[in-house]
Amino acid sequence: MSTGRLPRSLAITGLGTFVGGRVAERALDAPVPPRVVGLDLEIPRSLEGRLPFHRVDLTAPTADSQIAEVLGKKRCDVVLHAAFLTNPQPDCEYAHELEVIGSLHVMNAAAAAGVRKLVVMSSAEVYGPHPDNPNFLSEEHPLRSHPHAHAVQDRVEMEGLLRVFAQRHPEMVVTVLRPCWVMGPSQFSPVTRHFESKRVTTLMGFDPLMQFLHEEDLLGAIELALTRDAPGPFNLAGAGALPLSTLIRLAGKRTLPIPHPLLFRLGYLESMRRAGDSPEAFYDYLRYLWVLDTARAGSELGFQPEYTTKEAWMSLVVSHRLRRYR
Amino acid sequence: MSQSAQSSANEGLKTEQVTELREALAELRGEIEARFGVPGKERADGTLERGRALLEDVGRGVQAQLERFNLKGLYTGLRRAVSTYGMQPRSLDVDPFGLDPASLGRARLLLDFLYDRWWRVQVTGAEKLPAEGRVILVANRSGVLPYDGVMVAHAVEREHPKGLRPRFLMSDWVATSPFSQPLLTRLGGVRACPENAERLLEAGEWIVNFPEGPKGALKPFRERYQLQRFGRGGFVSLALRLNATLIPVAVVGAEEVHPVLFHPNLPRRLLGIPLPVTPTFPLAGPLGLIPLPSQWFIRFGDPIRWDAADRERAEDALFINRTRDEIRNIIQGFLEEEVHRRSSVFRA
Repeated sequence: MSTGRLPRSLAITGLGTFVGGRVAERALDAPVPPRVVGLDLEIPRSLEGRLPFHRVDLTAPTADSQIAEVLGKKRCDVVLHAAFLTNPQPDCEYAHELEVIGSLHVMNAAAAAGVRKLVVMSSAEVYGPHPDNPNFLSEEHPLRSHPHAHAVQDRVEMEGLLRVFAQRHPEMVVTVLRPCWVMGPSQFSPVTRHFESKRVTTLMGFDPLMQFLHEEDLLGAIELALTRDAPGPFNLAGAGALPLSTLIRLAGKRTLPIPHPLLFRLGYLESMRRAGDSPEAFYDYLRYLWVLDTARAGSELGFQPEYTTKEAWMSLVVSHRLRRYR
Repeated sequence: MSQSAQSSANEGLKTEQVTELREALAELRGEIEARFGVPGKERADGTLERGRALLEDVGRGVQAQLERFNLKGLYTGLRRAVSTYGMQPRSLDVDPFGLDPASLGRARLLLDFLYDRWWRVQVTGAEKLPAEGRVILVANRSGVLPYDGVMVAHAVEREHPKGLRPRFLMSDWVATSPFSQPLLTRLGGVRACPENAERLLEAGEWIVNFPEGPKGALKPFRERYQLQRFGRGGFVSLALRLNATLIPVAVVGAEEVHPVLFHPNLPRRLLGIPLPVTPTFPLAGPLGLIPLPSQWFIRFGDPIRWDAADRERAEDALFINRTRDEIRNIIQGFLEEEVHRRSSVFRA
């Protein structure tokens, strides 16, 4: 999908995540592969021996100087920061250390090493599901997060730090990608797990429009962000939006509608037991609209998703069905 | 005349002759039916036949259910009905704002009934509707539930030569309350906010705007047909910026569908949604949700267009405020005329 050439030298933090690992693989498989440096706690098995790897713990107090040293030594001109948790951690403090302070370390290291471009993976969840959201959220919309979702709040805090950082370093191209929920055969997240069950729990009386992004389109968009210089935030989503009930019906599943006061109260007990987020943190995303306007990604990034929302969703459904026969 | 009567009248005839006669009669009857149709069968383009087929279908379904009655089947059926809010079938594609053509098609039967029979809507000034271009219909908000938005959209669709159906904007609590959210979204409702209105107009949709908002919908019955504050004039500045034509619309009759007696504060604070008290709600339970069959009038005013000088004043707050109030006065005038003209609330 990407038309331009990848940067000469690319550093990826969070090599073990889906985004980090797959972007590295695709970059190494390119006709003119760039030099790729991986940073994470451990190297994923599929990439062993294919690229130089440096073990960096982003929660360590001296992580910034470690990263800056690697970036300087390898003369990296572009950094992809993808070291974010896929699953919300029960340990809020660790998550905050990694996502906010860790990102701050990456930013400072990038500035110290004189990196030309920094691409950061955020999420469209930062807009938050709110009853007063407009039908389409543009990048200028305030990031209101969700009052109960600590993972999303960390992401919003990180974006705030990043905005200040970008203002202080006008010479650096700082790109933020905000994909909506990503669907595809290799996605294992709380979201895909929720839709995996035969009866999908929904909130009775609510049927918002949903939007999904296929994982290949996400990787394509990241490659575009790496090749083209487009600073600022970008919403990423597949074309079209469908009501939640229609999607569940397309998957051949049934909904299990539960009145939200009941679900939230029962869920509190459960979340106290697991010490996780309260159920609103997830279910509000199935309650209110948070559909994205992707016009800016189309015009400035050249992002043209190959999969519509329906196709992205069906790819997840098909992979779930196949997994049953494995 | 039945065949048995024929044959009994001719007892002297032989059996072969009787059968021959019967065959000839059957042939004749077939020919008559083929040429002129069966009386009572195709009246009103097959409505009767379809109704009978539907009844037979239902009867057969009930019979089949009774024959193999099982609790699990009943449970699954009920669950399916609940999980889809009884709105099957729905299209697999909706428009970007969630309008579902299949749902709207099904709801049309009910909307037509409400429009023609229940409220007997009388429309005046429909010839003033422009053929095309960006249009914002500005109407008075009344009645608790957004029947007025649905009916204005329906009136425009019926009266407009191209049959275009405007989208109605709805206030937050209707747009985000359980059950009303999916239902009204599928019928073409969009939450009222500047971003949505702008996007709809740019996509070439007409919109029905109610600048009074929930203040108009939930006002007590004694203040009927008195317009509340017309928002902050957002619709005027939007119309100026996008060069959209404003059409004042007065809806008379919708105030009486759910006359709000008073509006207690406690349930609103407990449930988070307004719960007005009408003569029938919540006293009569779900039956109280049935709107009263008042006589409706919808009157379209002269379109308000902008010249170049006007459009340069899109940022001029005083000009916007003045224009907003002019439109409010036009609609208030329409309302008073129509209310004075009608002799009864329920009869034409």
